[in-house]
Amino acid sequence: MFLTNRNAFFIFLGGTAISLAIFLWLTVDTHRQVDALTHAEKLSDQVVAGKHVWEKKNCNECHTILGFGVYYAPDMTRVYKRIGPAGIKAAVMSPEVTFASSIRKMPNLGVTEQENADLTAFLEWVGNIDNHDWPPQDTEEAMSASQRRLAGAGLSRGASAFQENCIRCHSLGGSGGSNGPALDSIGDKYNAGTISRLIAEPASVQPGSRMMAFPDISESDRQAIGEFLAKQGGGQ
Amino acid sequence: MSTPFTTMSPSTGGLGMGPRDPKLVPYASQRVAYWYFVSALALFTLQVIVGLWLAISYAFTIPQSVVDVLPFGMTRAMHTNLLVLWMLLGFMGGTYYLVPEEAEREIYSVKLAYFQLLAFLATGVAALVGFTFGWTQGRPLLEIPTPLDFIVVVGALIFLFNVAMTVIKGKKTAILGMLLGGLTFLALLYLFGMPFYRNLSIDWFYWWWVVHLWVEGAWELVTAAILAFVLIKITGVDRKVIEKYLYIETALFLFTGLAGTGHHYYWLGAPRAWLWIGGIFSAMEVLPIIAMVIDSFLTQRRHGIAINNKVVWTFALGTAVGHLVGAGVFGFAHTLPQINYYTHGSQITASHGHLAFFGAYALLNLTMFWYAMPRLRGISQFRSSAALWGFWIMCLSILGIGIAMGVAGVIQTYVERVMGEGFMTAQGYMQLWFKVVLFFGVIMLGGLILTFWNIMTGKQSKEQQ
Repeated sequence: MFLTNRNAFFIFLGGTAISLAIFLWLTVDTHRQVDALTHAEKLSDQVVAGKHVWEKKNCNECHTILGFGVYYAPDMTRVYKRIGPAGIKAAVMSPEVTFASSIRKMPNLGVTEQENADLTAFLEWVGNIDNHDWPPQDTEEAMSASQRRLAGAGLSRGASAFQENCIRCHSLGGSGGSNGPALDSIGDKYNAGTISRLIAEPASVQPGSRMMAFPDISESDRQAIGEFLAKQGGGQ
Repeated sequence: MSTPFTTMSPSTGGLGMGPRDPKLVPYASQRVAYWYFVSALALFTLQVIVGLWLAISYAFTIPQSVVDVLPFGMTRAMHTNLLVLWMLLGFMGGTYYLVPEEAEREIYSVKLAYFQLLAFLATGVAALVGFTFGWTQGRPLLEIPTPLDFIVVVGALIFLFNVAMTVIKGKKTAILGMLLGGLTFLALLYLFGMPFYRNLSIDWFYWWWVVHLWVEGAWELVTAAILAFVLIKITGVDRKVIEKYLYIETALFLFTGLAGTGHHYYWLGAPRAWLWIGGIFSAMEVLPIIAMVIDSFLTQRRHGIAINNKVVWTFALGTAVGHLVGAGVFGFAHTLPQINYYTHGSQITASHGHLAFFGAYALLNLTMFWYAMPRLRGISQFRSSAALWGFWIMCLSILGIGIAMGVAGVIQTYVERVMGEGFMTAQGYMQLWFKVVLFFGVIMLGGLILTFWNIMTGKQSKEQQ
């Protein structure tokens, strides 16, 4: 009979060797290509510092990145493109405000300004890794689809600034986040200048507001957002 | 039953174990396994309790004030580290139990075996306490900080030395070769998880050398060896036949599993070739498991009468079937890149993880516990009804957990990945299914406590053996 114990042993050795050879060969190939695929020339010390922050603050124990980690909170692979540096800052530095009305909360991890800057650099670098356009919800195509849905043919400066900074929490025409109120009819209440002031310092317009302040958004951008929102007018 | 070998070292009569019956436990040093098994069962129970809190965190809104003090990530790290620790302790205990009988001599050093158990337990406690203070490497499953990593390595080296010395000085069998090979492979792979990698893609690349090559490589070897040992003992099947299937099955496991690692490399910034190699090889990973299940049922058919331990046989069959469902079917379901593109990093993965770990490795460990613990306690034939209740409660509740997580995963995949709605929008729709997970989790805990209690206190059966 062919299948003696001795032959079975050789099948074991042979099969293992073939599979191992393929595996190791592709591993070598991965090392050859990974610098180009991950844009290693942009992997600065600040990016590495950001990776340390990512690990120190245990981010991966709730979030996935490149789809790996824990499925309790959103994937961070393309977060830089999805919500931008202002969105990252709002989530990381004051989660208790940003996620006040979310069904799932994020702990305040006491991240410093410097740590946030490093982390943001890290997430920006990760966002450019060429990983065959994963995740599906954050592909270029998916993102441009949501842009089209929001703004029609082209984006005015105010609309694009709104999209970059506000849409994560606020919605317009049914698109956007639900942490803050929908802004379709804010034009009935405030004019452009008031909205601009509200963005920089919410409490100056609405005492006791839960919204976080965005003094880092330039005054001209704030004004453009204000003009864009003021003319939306939900009344009609 | 195999005839007991000559041993006359006096039994020391440890806590909880009765005096040793040489007909049941031929070598005194096998008794080391007792404390490994008890520790493993205790840690398993703790793992499930922590798991209930995780399910609550998914199913309900936890207020900010609680989240700030008790972040989800901290308890999740406990859940997974407890899993790894209890399973490794189970494997080690199983190894210490079977090596003397296979090698036909006492373990090289019983003191080292106890020392090593204490080292692992101390590391585990330090890691768990450390997590509550944020002492972590922040990498899922490989969280424990570098100093503790070194203790783990030292502990593993002591273990390998102790087992290898026993084997070298004793009889060499195919089972021992497979076991020692798997354990060495297991320890070597751990080293790839230790360094700090600057590049996140490379970091995850080698993370899978530990995690995938453990569960779909080294652990398969260890469990195949343990299962072969148990099968030889409880069925009348000839050793030669079992050894042959041991080779064929592990050949298939490694052939598909090594290159199959590629199914984790689709979306991390590695070359496109992995999509082909990973897809093809991992799709075949179900084959050795099917072979294992067919093999088990054929064994039962041919040798049904000779099977002398119904409880152990039920758990062994459960391992084969659980392996097939959890690792084989649920793994295959999302291993092809075309599907994985949408399911990667979703609750589908969590569903697969729970069914696979329980089906393949928890049941395997329980098979060994159920074989060895009654013997260590001086019981030749166990009353089986409560044991079988434990088996079915645990199996059906983990199936409920896996299916509920799977449904949640399908919802997530559709709402988030296909429709492009926000992550939290999808989670809102999924909350109901996490309540189902919690429900089955509570039942699971009940089944586990019943099993633990029964293993520790069950009595000799008055029925005929």
